[in-house]
Amino acid sequence: MATQTHDEAAPGAAEAAHGTATEHASSGLPQFDFAQWPGQIAWFLIIFFAMLAFIRLFAAPKIGGTIDAREAQIAGDVAEARRLKSEADETAKAAAAELAQTRAASAKLAQEASAKAQAEVAARLAEEEAKLAETTGKAEASIAAARAKAMTAVEGIASDTAQLIVEKLTGKAASVAELAASRG
Amino acid sequence: MAQQPAIEPMHQFQIHQIWAGPKFDIGGLTFDMSITNSVASMIAGAVILVLFFALTARGQIVPNRAQALAEGLYSIVDKVLVGPIIGHHGKPYIPYLFTLFMVILVLNLMGVVLSIGSLAGATLTFTVTSQLAITATLAVLTFFSVFFLGFIKHGPKFLGLFAPSGMPLALLVFMVPIEMISYFVRPVTLAMRLFGNMLGGHVVMSLFGSFVIALAIVGLSGGVAALAFVPSVLSFGMIVALTGLELVVAILQAFVFTALATVYLNEVVNFGHGH
Repeated sequence: MATQTHDEAAPGAAEAAHGTATEHASSGLPQFDFAQWPGQIAWFLIIFFAMLAFIRLFAAPKIGGTIDAREAQIAGDVAEARRLKSEADETAKAAAAELAQTRAASAKLAQEASAKAQAEVAARLAEEEAKLAETTGKAEASIAAARAKAMTAVEGIASDTAQLIVEKLTGKAASVAELAASRG
Repeated sequence: MAQQPAIEPMHQFQIHQIWAGPKFDIGGLTFDMSITNSVASMIAGAVILVLFFALTARGQIVPNRAQALAEGLYSIVDKVLVGPIIGHHGKPYIPYLFTLFMVILVLNLMGVVLSIGSLAGATLTFTVTSQLAITATLAVLTFFSVFFLGFIKHGPKFLGLFAPSGMPLALLVFMVPIEMISYFVRPVTLAMRLFGNMLGGHVVMSLFGSFVIALAIVGLSGGVAALAFVPSVLSFGMIVALTGLELVVAILQAFVFTALATVYLNEVVNFGHGH
């Protein structure tokens, strides 16, 4: 079983000593060939610490920094959007309030105008009615006067006619008192 | 009669030298710094990682797909693990955990994605995380970094970790050793979990791969033996299915390792905060 160990004593025999033919004969896991451990571990530590330095100094700060910068930018953008939205909400609220105020003012104005117009109409109506009543009164008075005049004239004509009829029938003229009594 | 290829599922884990490097003897250990297939895969993984981040870490506010992928992987460590488990005190440890996650992920995925190269017997790929030496290194490094961080941050008080508060003295005699064992077994479980997961899947895939070829060769001899093509094709179907499974395992184990490291780190960072 001596063939499985590596030929450390002969540095010159590099490739030949490690030929696969001798190693195939080995039993058990090649991982437990402890002669390979120091060199492998030393190389691995060198490479691992080189990678650690590379990642510590370049990769991790770069990637971590980019992720942080992106998160900061997204947070900032979201905050800015929130601020703008609240600003817009405020403006909309103010505009709505102003609109409501204007609406109330215009409604009041309209009401006032309508009330004023109604009052004017009522006043004019009353005035016209008064005028009309006056005119009507005057007309009625003049009608009454004309009627009275006409009635007097009719009475004269009637008494004259009655006098003439009485004269023709009786041959003598009727007195004024008799005529007045006959009219009932 | 065609020659039967040997069924050697462990061959894929064999380390062989590509380029002879210097050797150092330090403290009785021989550090053979030769470039092996294992080291070459590690270097390839490192190159992939560097290229990946060079291409994807673009820093655009609106990311393209590649950048979104890199940021998604980063967010797994940042937002899925460290954020909920440790909280904002965990920020300084993100680079280490992210490195842990990315290194394991890339090395795991290389073992699956590039495994097509192994089918023909040519070892074009090597799963570094199926080497116990590597998973043990990662586990020990992570565990003891966290352990010593506890002493740096909290001093001797950190030993209180092994003595649950409000426990009678008589029970403490038993509890402290149990707590210590359960604590110090963590690197072992960390190392063995990743190692076992990466080893097992690859062994099974390699076995089914061998069956495809071996049974097809049997089938080629004609006659009744042609029936061997049926299991050969079925084995090929198994490889396809297992490749999908292994992709999941590769990603999941990288996540699990990092998640456990985060949980261990949390005990230290939030020590004495009722966690």
